[in-house]
Amino acid sequence: MNWLSRLLPGSNPALDPEQRAALDAIIALPPPDLARSHYETRYVVINAETGPMDGGGQRLLAVGAVAINQGLLHPADAYRAQLGSAPVDAMIGLVRFIARSPVVVFNAPFNQGTLERALEQNLGSAPDLDWIDLMVLMPSLFPERTTGQARMDAWLGAFGIDRLDHRDALLEALCVAQLLQVALARANAQGLASPRDLLDTQSSRKWLRGS
Amino acid sequence: MDTSASDTLIRTNLDFLRRHAPFDRMETEALRFLGERLATAFYPAEAEILIPEDGPPRFFYIVYRGKVQARQVGSVSVTEYSTLTLGPGEGFPIGAISAGRPSTNGYIAVEDSYCFQLPAADFLKLQELSPTFQLFCTRYIASLLNQSREQLQVQFSQRAAEQQTMTTSLSNLVKKAPVFVGPELATRSALERMVEAGVGCLAVAGEDEKPVGVLTQSDILKRIVLPGFDLTRPIAEVMTTPPHTLNASASAYDAALEMATHGVRHILVVDTDDKLKGVISERDLFALQRIGLRQIRSGIESAADVQALQRASRDIRQLALNLLAQGIGAEQLTQFISALNDALTRRIIELNLNRHDLYGVEYAWLAFGSEGRHEQTLSTDQDNGILYILPEWADKEPLKLRLLEFAKDVNNDLAACGFPLCEGNIMASNPELCLTFDEWREKFGTWIREPHPEALLNATIFFDYRVLYGDEKLAHKLRHWLLSMTGGNPAFLKAMATNALDVSPPLGKIRDFVTDDDARHPGTIDLKKFGARLFVDAARVLSLRTGVDATSTVQRLRQGGSRIGMPAEELAAMADGFHFIQLLRLRHQHLDTDHGSSGDNRVKPDDLNELDRRILKEAFRQARKIQLRLKLDYQI
Repeated sequence: MNWLSRLLPGSNPALDPEQRAALDAIIALPPPDLARSHYETRYVVINAETGPMDGGGQRLLAVGAVAINQGLLHPADAYRAQLGSAPVDAMIGLVRFIARSPVVVFNAPFNQGTLERALEQNLGSAPDLDWIDLMVLMPSLFPERTTGQARMDAWLGAFGIDRLDHRDALLEALCVAQLLQVALARANAQGLASPRDLLDTQSSRKWLRGS
Repeated sequence: MDTSASDTLIRTNLDFLRRHAPFDRMETEALRFLGERLATAFYPAEAEILIPEDGPPRFFYIVYRGKVQARQVGSVSVTEYSTLTLGPGEGFPIGAISAGRPSTNGYIAVEDSYCFQLPAADFLKLQELSPTFQLFCTRYIASLLNQSREQLQVQFSQRAAEQQTMTTSLSNLVKKAPVFVGPELATRSALERMVEAGVGCLAVAGEDEKPVGVLTQSDILKRIVLPGFDLTRPIAEVMTTPPHTLNASASAYDAALEMATHGVRHILVVDTDDKLKGVISERDLFALQRIGLRQIRSGIESAADVQALQRASRDIRQLALNLLAQGIGAEQLTQFISALNDALTRRIIELNLNRHDLYGVEYAWLAFGSEGRHEQTLSTDQDNGILYILPEWADKEPLKLRLLEFAKDVNNDLAACGFPLCEGNIMASNPELCLTFDEWREKFGTWIREPHPEALLNATIFFDYRVLYGDEKLAHKLRHWLLSMTGGNPAFLKAMATNALDVSPPLGKIRDFVTDDDARHPGTIDLKKFGARLFVDAARVLSLRTGVDATSTVQRLRQGGSRIGMPAEELAAMADGFHFIQLLRLRHQHLDTDHGSSGDNRVKPDDLNELDRRILKEAFRQARKIQLRLKLDYQI
């Protein structure tokens, strides 16, 4: 079942009409063509900022997102939200910003996990998104640099990307977005020209690693 | 868009920009405008960011992180550098994007690099928004001008050096492949060959190209014509053998010594295998002797007759070539030419005063037009006149007749010294142009009161007068009166301005340049009519309006422009534009016509190198700018 249909009227009574309308607008968007080239694709890079939950575990406090559209990072195409007292609006804002674009994170188990939980909690269900994890992808794109998965710091250092403020979800997303630009250039050089190619590479990599 | 998120990213852009010139000095609003519009792109090492084939650049780039190299594309070098590395904070391609033409350089990331990019339209808007940024770009383009000058220097310095030193090796002096025949050739055929090639010396060499003899023009008379030598017999029987040879590595000095020692006028130049490489004549060596400014000047001042001045006139041209080759700017060069031509004219006048008694007559010899503006190029004909005072004791007719006789001789002598007689008869020997103070005032006054087309044309020639010889005070008084007449006469100024706007800069909407549709000169631009004149005419209006005494276009721009509050940088850019066009004219007249064809002002933009084309376009833009100012000021 398409994730969007789970967001259809009746599926979550907690949404007010305005929020409902916002989600309806996203339902109307055509799905992205994952076979098009990177330079015709809009990627959304997301970073989750978390804090400890009562009874253990982490909960989402804030989210920062930066788009790489047609290879370019533009300051106008960015999103940031604190969950605070209006977590539903924050999540709707995020979903609207993503607008069905493939989502890129560094360290999916953490980011994707946290985000999906928050979406489910606030919107009733987590949307089906195409998640790309640079932590998995980078070692296969740059085998000469490392033999296994490396921390984000190591990758940022390798490409001279400044980490401006690791406590700020948006600035962290900015770093990951710059890393994605490096990754896309290399992927292109290796013949991995589309988001579909990246997703395929990622699953075979995961499979190889047995994860 | 999420404003708080965008603000954060814009702030990171601004933080970066503020650390680099010229953005650190940029106005807050303009900087914000820039910060909001910069997108970041990544280029891996060796990636092409921009190449000439991309056409007019769509973006202005600022290196954010990494290194970008500008590399010359194509075989013709257009800047003094072959590569130039740009680091964080440096922008490109300023010239190309300002001019809206493809970049000359290829821009390649030499390491993994991030670049900001700004859409071309926003780049132009940013210049409007930010005087600081505009100044930065203007200065950059001005530096291209310097590069062009330096490049000219490189291009011709070798040639200049060869002309100036006796230590030059003969291999540098040999210009043409040698003309030679085999020793068995019939003498008639050998002589025919000589005539055909137009040489005064025929080398004779074997099949191995090693010279065995030589025959010069003077030998022909003595050995062939007078003795009645049989022309069917081989050349070997009449040639001088063995010939005088020197290795190509020998110096010009060695050759001069060899010629002097053996009393010969030609030396055969051979390579290390003794093969013939060329022929050096006595005349080639004479050309090496350097001509200096002081030498010419003292030559002019001590000249006893017109013949001596003719030599000086030729020397002036040679000096101009050398100076041009040394990369001197148009302003200084025209000043040199102007100063020497003034000295030459004065000497001609002095020599004529020995024959014409003008003692006690108050008069001034005036130069008009480009000479009056100190802007003579080398193919300018003479434009002159006389201003005099009729003393109370004298009758006008006989005095004027004496002045006209004198003027006629001066005009003819000037013509003999390379300043052609004026086709339009704008010469002091024309009774219409040999006038008293009151007559000149009357003439000028009529043009100002009734500015019909012919009057305006006259104003553009005669109002640029300058005294070359005689009473400066007289001329100054006339100037003072003239400026008082024009300054307060908006109708006349508007008519002059309209006249100045008659011709627009030849900038095309689609192509870079609009070239002449004259079928005899396809693809050319007349840089006098469609270039220099635009500046000259506008500057004249400015000077008449603001009461500037100076006649030179650049002085008029600088002084007149600042009087009406035009920014100094803007005026400097206009002056640069004018100088560049003058430089192109001089280069074209001088260097392109080095081999005797007459100089003109027609330049083919297609023949210019990429950088010169770019600067020429910028110069035309400057002309358009000053024309626009006239349009606005006079509501035309």
